[in-house]
Amino acid sequence: MNFQFDNVSGMLHMAGHGIYVWTAVLVTLALIAWLIINPLLQRRRVIKEIAQDVSREQLRQNASGESV
Amino acid sequence: MNWNWFYRMGSPRWFYESTSRWLPWFGALTVLLLVSGLVWGLAFAPQDAKQGNSFRIIYLHVPASFLALAGYFLMAAAGAIGLIWKMKLSYMVMKCAAPLGAVLTFLALFTGAVWGKPTWGSYWVWDARVTSMLILLFLYMGVLALQYAFDSKDVANKASAILALVGTVNIPIIYKSVDWWFTLHQPATIRFTEAPSMHPDMFQPLLVMILGFYCFYAVALILSVRVEILSRERKTSWVRSLVKQATHNSLGAE
Repeated sequence: MNFQFDNVSGMLHMAGHGIYVWTAVLVTLALIAWLIINPLLQRRRVIKEIAQDVSREQLRQNASGESV
Repeated sequence: MNWNWFYRMGSPRWFYESTSRWLPWFGALTVLLLVSGLVWGLAFAPQDAKQGNSFRIIYLHVPASFLALAGYFLMAAAGAIGLIWKMKLSYMVMKCAAPLGAVLTFLALFTGAVWGKPTWGSYWVWDARVTSMLILLFLYMGVLALQYAFDSKDVANKASAILALVGTVNIPIIYKSVDWWFTLHQPATIRFTEAPSMHPDMFQPLLVMILGFYCFYAVALILSVRVEILSRERKTSWVRSLVKQATHNSLGAE
């Protein structure tokens, strides 16, 4: 198993095919990252929503408790 | 026979809690496999005698296509289980598999297009394999669209599941398209019944990438099913206490 290119710029160029190969690599990595990051962000949003629901319900409970 | 395990597996809480334990391991394995497979395939695998370096796109194109197809089976199976046993969790898996599969199918088409340009001289051809993959993309988008087309969650789930099941007819067509029709697309590199038509030096990194994509798929699907569970089960006490803990931790960290 040997490194197939003379140097890093040779690997970037890939004898003229570099533009195709690296475009495919970048788009793939970007989409993979997005598919992981998106649910993590959504999770944070849902947890925030639920926490707000809980504190709103507690406020309401406290208010009704005082009026009795 | 004791069916308790089956019903326990259908419990969103059980799914959430057990995946909490597995996720870090799966995540680490995914990164390890994808990084090593990519470096191996892009820098160390020998170049193809006919296609030169453009063939290196295979290390993205084949795994993405594999998961686009396997993901469709998973989605359809989850839909069928939902229809038969009315399992909530199963429908959640189906719903989350649809956008994930659509992105992977798009990726298979995109990497195919940038591979096609230097190899076939064109980004796009209306070839049997390419066209049937495009239909797969529309099927995924159809399942996703039906989720938002009905006010009733139950009707939406049933409609999505039926479309997913009907669409499975496309899967063997995609798989066999390169044999049934005269196509530009090259025949399958990996077959279940024969040895791979590829030199081991090229094949081993491909295998690593396929495994890496399977692990990535599992992680991405589990992450989005977990969000779906939190959102749907927001009234339950276990989600409430989990949220309490999570907000407490984040306040402590700030």
